[in-house]
Amino acid sequence: MSAQKNENMLMIPKIKLGIVIDHIPAGDGVKILEIISRYEETKEVPITLGINYDSQKMGRKDLIKLQMEFLSPEIIQHISIVVPGVTIKAIKDYKVYSKVVVQAPKVIKNLLLCKNPNCITNLQSGVETSFVAVDENSDQVKCEFCERIFDRSELQPIIK
Amino acid sequence: MKKDLISMDDLTLDEIKDYLRVAHQVEKLSDDQRYRLLPGKIMAAMFFEPSTRTRLSFEAAMHRLGGNVIGFAEQSATSVSKGESFTDTIHTVENYCDIMVIRHPGEGTARLAAQESVLPVINAGDGSNQHPTQTLLDLYTIEKDLGHISDITVAFVGDLKYSRTVHSLIRALMKFDVRNFILVAPESLRLPKYFMMTDQPDKYRFYETNHLEEAIPKCDILYMTRIQRERFPDLLEYEKVKDSYLLTAAMLADAKPHMRVLHPLPRVNEIAYDVDKTRFAGYFPQARNGVIMRQAILLKHLGVEL
Repeated sequence: MSAQKNENMLMIPKIKLGIVIDHIPAGDGVKILEIISRYEETKEVPITLGINYDSQKMGRKDLIKLQMEFLSPEIIQHISIVVPGVTIKAIKDYKVYSKVVVQAPKVIKNLLLCKNPNCITNLQSGVETSFVAVDENSDQVKCEFCERIFDRSELQPIIK
Repeated sequence: MKKDLISMDDLTLDEIKDYLRVAHQVEKLSDDQRYRLLPGKIMAAMFFEPSTRTRLSFEAAMHRLGGNVIGFAEQSATSVSKGESFTDTIHTVENYCDIMVIRHPGEGTARLAAQESVLPVINAGDGSNQHPTQTLLDLYTIEKDLGHISDITVAFVGDLKYSRTVHSLIRALMKFDVRNFILVAPESLRLPKYFMMTDQPDKYRFYETNHLEEAIPKCDILYMTRIQRERFPDLLEYEKVKDSYLLTAAMLADAKPHMRVLHPLPRVNEIAYDVDKTRFAGYFPQARNGVIMRQAILLKHLGVEL
């Protein structure tokens, strides 16, 4: 059903061509939107954000639709670090033609800031950060430099 | 390919054992044989913060292998004080030497140097992160003193919360299958709980106590550390606990005959001077072992086979 057919309902319109980021835990949509909007390539792209939609699987979920053909691997990686587990679907002629569930990578290069103020990545400018997943099933990552372990969610993304 | 020594966490058990093997071999050589091992080689001792024992120990190790030493003992003596970046210092100094030994208050600095440089880098302490040569010399001392490392009980005394030396040695001992640890520390300086959480909780035993006397008859190694005043938010609490962790010769009456007292030094007042004359005192030979282990490290990382 499109928004035009039922003007009394507030819906996110279907898109003919674009990207849908689905199964975002309720409340995390804004985080993803904030990441996406930092990249130059999305500056002029129409984006719709839905918050607190009903979801059979999750109870409530957020949803983002972007009217752009491709999402760069860099943005996808960035999303996967901040909110792992979301589904990214590519839409063509209103239909899903491919989808992928993004998981956090094992190694995260230069996308997150180390929280340790005494880490060399914070003491000297220009040092690229690097975090390695502690194990497959955990959300913890280890800074390759100072060797401190953090929850992925407590690390701030690097603003480029 | 060049080989760096940055963190104990990078080393497998077999790699650690190989450092111990080389150290034993170095010790068997005569002074003259040792002196002919690294002629013409230059070690840069880059100490961005003062550390007398570690620096002198590395320098002595290199000199006794017939090599030469250049370097600095504090940051104010370098171009860093003029605003040069750490990586620029590395790229400059690597033209002057064959191996770099780095001490820096910033954590991860040695790892960065190793990534940047074509030369082998040895971490001589990066903030409160790693000090692998201390751990290797501790392991070497334990193996020399007891003849083996597995199947022993090790007591750690003092600041178990912040001591980098203690944390690193406990992890290394666990790799050697050491299962029994006695932890003697005031409430506020106890070993962080995550150390005791392993995937095999039945395998390792961590026994915590406030009483040093209780640990002495049970352990094979008594590893003492300094309790630093500045760690206590309340100095009254420091005054209360400081003497409970003071080891005296009289307290060693019930110790096992082969037991050894170790300490990374400097000691302040946690080991009374009368302990020095007992057969249990292992801390000065431990400092000597530091030179031997660092010789083994320099040889291994400069590609000299023994």
